[in-house]
Amino acid sequence: MRTVCIVGVGMTQFGRFKESNVIELGRIAALNALRDAGIDKKDIQVAYAGHARTGQLYNRECGIGQSVLWELGISGIPISSVGNFCSSGSTALRDAWMAIGTGMYDVAIALGVEKLTGRAGKGRPLTSDGVELLTVMGFSPPVYFGNVATRHMEEYGTTKEQLAMVAVKNRKNAGPNPRCQYRDPITIEEVLNSPLIVEPLTLLNCCPTTDGAAAAILCSKEVAKRYTSKPVEIAASALSSGPYKKCKDITTFGADRCAGKDAYEISGIGPEDIDFAEVHDCFTIAEIVHYEDFGFCKKGEGGRFIEEGLSDINGKIPVSVSGGLMSRGHPIGATGLAQIAEAVWQLRGVAENQVKGAKVAFTHCAGGFQDTIELGDVQSSAVTILKRGW
Amino acid sequence: MPTHESGSTAQSIEEYIDPRLKPLIKMPESPSERPRLIGNKCKFCKEYFFPKRVLCPNCLKEEGLEDVLLSHRGRLYTYCIVKAAPLGFSAPYAVGYVDLPEGLRIFSPLTVDNEKELQIGMDLELFVDKIREDETGKTVYGYRFRPFSI
Ligand SMILES: [Zn+2]
Repeated sequence: MRTVCIVGVGMTQFGRFKESNVIELGRIAALNALRDAGIDKKDIQVAYAGHARTGQLYNRECGIGQSVLWELGISGIPISSVGNFCSSGSTALRDAWMAIGTGMYDVAIALGVEKLTGRAGKGRPLTSDGVELLTVMGFSPPVYFGNVATRHMEEYGTTKEQLAMVAVKNRKNAGPNPRCQYRDPITIEEVLNSPLIVEPLTLLNCCPTTDGAAAAILCSKEVAKRYTSKPVEIAASALSSGPYKKCKDITTFGADRCAGKDAYEISGIGPEDIDFAEVHDCFTIAEIVHYEDFGFCKKGEGGRFIEEGLSDINGKIPVSVSGGLMSRGHPIGATGLAQIAEAVWQLRGVAENQVKGAKVAFTHCAGGFQDTIELGDVQSSAVTILKRGW
Repeated sequence: MPTHESGSTAQSIEEYIDPRLKPLIKMPESPSERPRLIGNKCKFCKEYFFPKRVLCPNCLKEEGLEDVLLSHRGRLYTYCIVKAAPLGFSAPYAVGYVDLPEGLRIFSPLTVDNEKELQIGMDLELFVDKIREDETGKTVYGYRFRPFSI
């Protein structure tokens, strides 16, 4: 594999956009990425578009990438859809990374887009993709994470206050970031007293319903020199499905452990080298589990890690410095690439909530449930490690 | 939370079981029997599966799989209480994962008189009762677990 760099990123504002459709959102993000890279659209040789729910919500399972790029005059090249639950955007990035890394192409665009506000069942949790047997019995994503939280609290003494601290920290991080859906500061009391969704998780322990898109332009390191003096290197991009295990431990995600281990091995970078992380904080308890699964702290110490301020912007490993899914929102297929865009700005030193001197970034997206009744792992996890290429 | 409707026979309840759950549940044929979950077991690697698999993922053999009735008792591994209900469900309701002696950790709706009764590790027993309503408002049954004391 040759070294691959990111030379341009772009995203839309994240929020609820009744008037916009997925194609428009995708077009804005892709155009922003092209302009950021200062690249001619004719130089794009291959494209991957991540989206997870456009089939169910808009009767459009394929072709989102073609439609978006057609509006930008990019056609006659390989374009494919990448559907991989909440990791769809990060998987699109990984496909682009492999396409260039193997030497097949020199320049690629990875795109992620989703519009969730059009869905039916307003005020109710988004149901999961598939998992019909579970859904008829009352399952939903917050149910899974409610079960994680109950067990984590029982086994490790994690408290509701510690869960709330994740929401408070991520909202504080969102304050300066104009792309976030929610930016006003919140308190532990407000998180604890917000309406219960799935006990022990209140509304402010859950990420919101959001529309948005994000994109990145990737090149080989050689080609990157033509466009920028500050290329961001992809040190590793790892992907794993959930390992099948009888009587799985619900307080750890096997897919995340596999992807994290691979990313650390491929890059030769360990948790001690990371300057900040953007993790999949779809629910507050998830961020606490991620601290443990990625080796930011020991198993069972995630609650303490947040309480002691170790994941704060000035802590040992600042986590979700952009505001995370909790504040930016989680348009499923777009999230992975939004994390990449935020991480690239951090490494260039131009982020609004800047981590001083950040040189190495860790991003992580995960999601999806196995369509069975036995307790299963999350079905996709993608970890990307980025570093300054200058 | 729903309670068992006295007087309903196993046959009349069976009509109301969600069609997707029906193949997983064996209703009692006499008053002394209990409803059971139907799983299968691979005779080569001895692993149990629920719902049944058509192919053992360890051995990749179809011929080793035999139907088994799973234990109607289990232990609560973890749980949560849903306060914002999906369509067809009425909140609050409890759901969780139950450990069966066959080495299976399965999702199930839970029935308790009071949410505070729920404790990780508590003994539970299987029964069949209402789980939700369908689009037309018709009652849909499925399997559930409830506290069991000797
Ligand atoms: Zn076998």
